[in-house]
Amino acid sequence: MRRFDYHRAETLEHASRLLTELGDDTFLFNGGTDLLVEIRERLRRVRNVIDIKGIPGLSDITYDETRGLTFGALVTVGRLERLALVRQRYPNLREALASLGSIQVRNRATVVGNVCRASPSADTIPPLIADGAFIHIYSPTNMRVVPLSEFFTGPGRTVLAKGEIVTGITVPPAGDNTGKAYLKHGRRKAMELSTVGVAVSLSMDDGVCSDIRIALGAVGATVLRAPQAEAMLRGTTLDAATVKNAADKAMEECTPISNVRASADYRRDMVGVLTGRAIRQALETFA
Amino acid sequence: MNVTTPIEQRDFKIVGKSVKREDVVEKVTGEAQYTGDIKLPGMLHGKIKRAAIAHARIKSIDVSKALAYPGVKAVLTHENVPRVLHYGSPHPRSASCTKDQYILDDKVRFWGEGVAAVAAISEEIADEALDLIEVEYEALPAVFEPEDAVLPDAPLIHDVGPGGNLVLDPVRVNRGDIEAGFAEADFVLEGTFSGGRPHPAYMEPNVCIADWDGTNKLTFWTSTQTSFMVRGILAEVLGLPLTKVRVLVDHMGGGFGAKQDCFQHEFLCALLAKETRRPVKMEFTRHETFIAGRARHPCRIWLKQGFKNDGTLVARDMKLVYDSGAYGSHGPGVTIVGTSAATSLYRCENVRLEGRCVYTNTPINGAFRGYGVVQSYYALDIQMDEAAERLGMDPAELKLKNVVRAGDIAPSGHPILGHGLEICLQHGLDVLDWKSLRNRDRTPDPKRPHMRKGWGIGCEMHGSSAYPGIKEQGNATVKMNEDGTVTLLTGAAGLGTGAHTALAQIVAEELGVRFEDVGVIHGDTDVVPWDIGAFASHTTYLVGTAAKMAAGKVRTAVLERAAMKLQVAVEEIDLSEGRIFVIAEPGRFMTVAEAMGPSRGIPAANIVGNGTYQPTKSYSFAVHFTEVDVDTETGLVEVKRVVPVHDVGRVIHPIAAQGQIEGGIQQGIGHTLTEDYVIDKKTGRSLNAGLVDYKMPLSMDMPDIETIILEAAPDPGGPWGAKGVGEDPIIAIGPSIANAIHDAIGVRFHHYPITPEDILKALREKGA
Repeated sequence: MRRFDYHRAETLEHASRLLTELGDDTFLFNGGTDLLVEIRERLRRVRNVIDIKGIPGLSDITYDETRGLTFGALVTVGRLERLALVRQRYPNLREALASLGSIQVRNRATVVGNVCRASPSADTIPPLIADGAFIHIYSPTNMRVVPLSEFFTGPGRTVLAKGEIVTGITVPPAGDNTGKAYLKHGRRKAMELSTVGVAVSLSMDDGVCSDIRIALGAVGATVLRAPQAEAMLRGTTLDAATVKNAADKAMEECTPISNVRASADYRRDMVGVLTGRAIRQALETFA
Repeated sequence: MNVTTPIEQRDFKIVGKSVKREDVVEKVTGEAQYTGDIKLPGMLHGKIKRAAIAHARIKSIDVSKALAYPGVKAVLTHENVPRVLHYGSPHPRSASCTKDQYILDDKVRFWGEGVAAVAAISEEIADEALDLIEVEYEALPAVFEPEDAVLPDAPLIHDVGPGGNLVLDPVRVNRGDIEAGFAEADFVLEGTFSGGRPHPAYMEPNVCIADWDGTNKLTFWTSTQTSFMVRGILAEVLGLPLTKVRVLVDHMGGGFGAKQDCFQHEFLCALLAKETRRPVKMEFTRHETFIAGRARHPCRIWLKQGFKNDGTLVARDMKLVYDSGAYGSHGPGVTIVGTSAATSLYRCENVRLEGRCVYTNTPINGAFRGYGVVQSYYALDIQMDEAAERLGMDPAELKLKNVVRAGDIAPSGHPILGHGLEICLQHGLDVLDWKSLRNRDRTPDPKRPHMRKGWGIGCEMHGSSAYPGIKEQGNATVKMNEDGTVTLLTGAAGLGTGAHTALAQIVAEELGVRFEDVGVIHGDTDVVPWDIGAFASHTTYLVGTAAKMAAGKVRTAVLERAAMKLQVAVEEIDLSEGRIFVIAEPGRFMTVAEAMGPSRGIPAANIVGNGTYQPTKSYSFAVHFTEVDVDTETGLVEVKRVVPVHDVGRVIHPIAAQGQIEGGIQQGIGHTLTEDYVIDKKTGRSLNAGLVDYKMPLSMDMPDIETIILEAAPDPGGPWGAKGVGEDPIIAIGPSIANAIHDAIGVRFHHYPITPEDILKALREKGA
C-alpha cells in the first residue's frame, strides 16, 4: 500500500474546500472498496483522501409517488439492496445491486461511489439510466441536478467540476404499467465484473409500448443508451420480430472494445442476445 | 458421499473414520500461525524490482537513489549477490530438474523477473524505493510461443542445456511396433490439442522470513511443500553446511505443487537479512504470485491413434510439447511424467511417444497438481470419445473395453494392481443408469429453446509417488511418552490437505491408542526426520507407511515392557485403545501409561521408533461423469452435476478424501472453462495477473457433486492399502466436460479453456 494523507470532512463545504485546496491526486473517500484497491494495486496515484462518511444528511433514503426514490451519497449498496421497496419497484436496480462484488463489499460500497467511479462496466449505472435517474451535485456556489445519462464523459470521467460533490441520486417513480430488467453477463455467477450489462425499463399502455429505455454497460466509453433501438420499439406491441430487429439495432449502436475479458465482437453479440432477453424479462411483469 | 468397499474389512478403530482434524480449531479461530503472521523484533521488509521487458541484457543498474532513500537498509543486484548456477527445484537423485538459474543475472528472460531487491523498515518504503532503481536494458528479441522458440533462428534464452531452447533432450518412449500397429488399424484418428496456462492461485501468497544468528546460522520460515529441498539448495548456494540452515514451515495456505521450487525471492530474502544483520520478510502480492509463481505448462499435443472396427486400439503415436516459460523448474519432470503417462490409461501395445519441453520468454511454469498428465490425458480421453463416435458406439462402452486392467504395464514400468479403473467406470454407469441418460429425450425445453444438455465421461489414473523419476523415501519417528500419549515427528508439509491428521490416524490405529493421544510435530528441519516433500499425491501413501512402520516398532517395544511388568509372555498380550490386556483374561490389563511409567526401581521408558520406507508407486483411478448445460446464444457452459467415482485404495479419512476430490473438480472446472493466465504475445506482459481477471470458479459456480469412493484396488505399498487422491480429480474432470459439451452441441473441442466465444464460433461454423 502506497502512503497517502487522510482528511476527514465535517461538512460538504469543508469537503469541497479540501478538494480544491489539496490539489491534484485528491479523492473523496466513501466506502473505499474501489479506491483502496486502486491505491494498493498502484492503479491510481493518490496523495490525499477526504473521508465524507462523517458529513450529516447524506444517509437518507426517501420515496414518494411523485418524486420517486432518493438516496444519499452514503447509502451503501447492501442497504439499498435489502430494501423491500427497491425489490418491488426497481427490480432492475435490485438485480444490479445484488450482483455487485461480494456481500462484504456491498455492505461497505456506496451506490453513489459506484456511479462516480464512472466505470463503463459499473453494475448500478445501466438500470439507473434506464430508469431516468438524476444526480444531485453540490458546490459552494451552486446546487445542480443532472440527468444521469448526461453525467459521464468517458471511462472514469464525469461532468463534475473541481470542488463539486455528488450528494445523492433520485430515481423517478415506477408506475404500475412499467416493466424492468437488468441482465449481467460474466463468466461466473458472483464476484464478477460485467462483460456486458443490459438494463431495460419499459412502459406498456393497452398492450402497446408507450416508452422504453435501454442502457448498455461495458460496450462503450460510458454506459450507452440505444436510442434507435428504443425508437423502433416505441408504439409497438413488442412482438418477437420487432424485438429481434431492435436488438440487432442495439448491436450497431454500441461501441465495444476487445480486452482480456472478451472480444469486441463477442460483446456486440451479447448486446443482441441480452437486449432481447431483457425486454422479454421486463414484459414478464405483465404476464 | 458414499464409500463402497469390496476389500477385506478389518475392525478399524480410527482409520476410515472422519475424525476431527487436528488443526481445525486453530484454523477456524484464526490462531493458526502462517508464515505471514510472524513478526520478529527489528524485522525489515523486502521487495523485488521486476523487469518490464521480456528479454534483455542489463546494461546498467543504478541503485544510488534507492540506497539513499530514508528507511532503505540494503539493495541487491546481480553485481553484489553470489553468482551460483543452481536448480530451481532440487529433488535429490532425480533427473526431473534443470540447473539454469542464478539468484540474479545480468539477463532478463521474462517480463516480471526480479532484477534487484530492497530491504527497508516498512513495506511501503521498500516499495517506493523500487521506483528509484534505474535499470538500463538492451532489448533482445523474444519468443512467447513454443512453436516460435524451436525455429532455427529463434533467439536463445539460455546458454545451458541441449540448445535450441530445449529444456532437456526429447523424451522418447517406445513400446511394441508402431508401424505394424497402424498397418493393422481399420481407421486412424489424428488431431492436435492444446492447453492453456492455468495457475494454482493458492490462498496464501508466497512468503518467507530470514533471520541469521550470531553463529552465522540461518533460520528461514517459508511457505513451502519441500522444506528439506529448500534447506539443501539454500545451503548449497549460500555455501553453508546443513547444520547452519534451519527451515521452518508451520501452516500453509495451499501449494498445489507449485510451492516445491526454491524461488528467487527466498535467496534474496536470506541475502538481504545477511547484509543487514536483521530479520527480513518478503511476501508476494497476489500479482506476484502470478508473475513470479509457477503455473501449469501450456502444451501442444499431436495425437494419432489406430483403431480396429471392434474398438481395439492398435497404435498410438503422440508428440507433446510443454512450454516451460523462462526457466526449467519442473519442466523435465513434467515432460517425463506427462509423456510416459500416455503409455497407459487406455491399453495399446504399440506406442511411440515423444515429449519436448521448450523455453519461452514467459513466466515460469512448474509443478502443479496433475503434473503433465492433465495435458496428455485430456487428449487421450477426448480422442477416445471421438473414436466411439466414429464407431457409432457409446463412449462408455469403448472406454470400458479399453481401460487398463490388472497386470498391464503402468507408466512406471510395473504391472498395475487391481481393476480399479474398470470398476470405477462400471460402478458409475450402473449408479447413473447411463444407458437411459444416453437415450434420453433430447428435445430442448420450449421455455429455454437455446439451452442444450450434455453428459460426458472422463477417465484418469495417477501415481502416488514420483517413482521412477525420483527414488522416494518416507521417514517418520514415533515417540511414546510416559503418560501414554504419542508424538509423531514428520517432515511432511501440512499444505492444507489434512495430511497430518491422516498420519496421526495411522499411528493411533497401528499403535492401539486414541487419535486424540497422538501429537504431530512437523515443519522444523532441525527436529523432524528428513523428508522429500509433500507432492506427487504421496504423503499418506509414503509417509503414512513410514509412520505405520515406526508405530509398529513402538508398539512392539511397549508390549515387551508391559509383558515384563505383567509377567506374561509378549505373545499373550495385546494393545488396544490405550490398554494393554492379557488376551485370555481381558480383565487383567494395564494402561499404556502404567506400562511406560517408572515402577519398582525401573525408570520410565524411552521408546522411540523410526520408520523409513522406499516405495515404488501405486496408481489411483477415477472416472468423472459430468452434466453440462450449454447456452447456444451466449456460449456459456454451466457444469450442473458431477458424479466422481474414485478408487483410492483404503480410505484413511473419508471427508478429507472427499474434500480433495471436490476441490480438484472446482480447480479443474476452472481450468477447462474459465481460467487462463494470459501473456501478451507481442510484449510478454501478463494481461490478467490478479484475481479480477483470472477467473476461478467460486462456490456459486459449483455443480452438485456426488462423490463415490471405492476401495476397489488397494495397494500393498500403502498403509492398509491406501493410495493417493490429491491429483486424480483434476485430471478426470477436464475431458469429462469437453466430452459433455460435445454431447450437448455436437462440437468437439481440443483445447482448454473452452470459452463462450469458442462455443459461439464453433456453433456458427457448424451451422454454416
